[in-house]
Amino acid sequence: MARTIVSPPPDLDIAAALGQPASTLVRGGPFLFVSGLAAIDPATGQRLRGPIMTETRVVLTALKQMLEAAGSSLDKVVKVNVLMASMLEATPMNDVYAEFFPDPPPARTVCGARLPDGCRIMIECTALA
Amino acid sequence: MMRDVIAAPRPGLDFRRHYGHHQSPAIRAGGLIFCSGMLAIDPETGERRHGTLTEEAHCIFGNLKLLLESAGSSLDRLVQVHALIYDSIEYDVLNRVYRQYVAGGPPARTVWTAQSEAGFKIQLDVIAAA
Repeated sequence: MARTIVSPPPDLDIAAALGQPASTLVRGGPFLFVSGLAAIDPATGQRLRGPIMTETRVVLTALKQMLEAAGSSLDKVVKVNVLMASMLEATPMNDVYAEFFPDPPPARTVCGARLPDGCRIMIECTALA
Repeated sequence: MMRDVIAAPRPGLDFRRHYGHHQSPAIRAGGLIFCSGMLAIDPETGERRHGTLTEEAHCIFGNLKLLLESAGSSLDRLVQVHALIYDSIEYDVLNRVYRQYVAGGPPARTVWTAQSEAGFKIQLDVIAAA
């Protein structure tokens, strides 16, 4: 079985915007694997540094758009991993998160971690393609 | 292909109801079961059961067994485990309790240090074969 690197819309190629040797989206089997996404301003390609609700909203908006461009969607997401600079911000993150994901939502793990480049949040996920 | 939502097998394991977390207990898709991060929660009441790392791990594996078996899977069908522990000094403590639950052939595993909610010492993030 082959894997396929899926190109996101150019303004949403977040792995490239972060200068990472990573693909933003890779298809393998029935799944689409999404790299850890940080908040990038799609207008400038620069890191968007905001309070947690802003960063969460920017990341999830990009995720929604890139999944839909790849033929998937937020309601096909099976698992999300949320990495946060501070677990003290888990409640406002959860409030914004609940605006995006359908009911019933995907499985999810949230943890506090040391993130690169001052990110407040990184979100990675696995979706059905 | 569709995804199936696995409901909480016991009332205490519904994190959404008890803590407002916007997540399902587990999702089955593509022959796999993806579980939400498992924590030491009383499966009947939903109350947190903080303890030593060993005590929390026993509680988590008990909950994981309930969840996987309700979905037609089992601890013997674990494929991959991420063990998030609060301090790597407890790595050997983790291994001693972990070994008791994977006697049938351990799954792939990665351990790292991370902060879990509410000061829990360990969280398990797992994928099992459906």
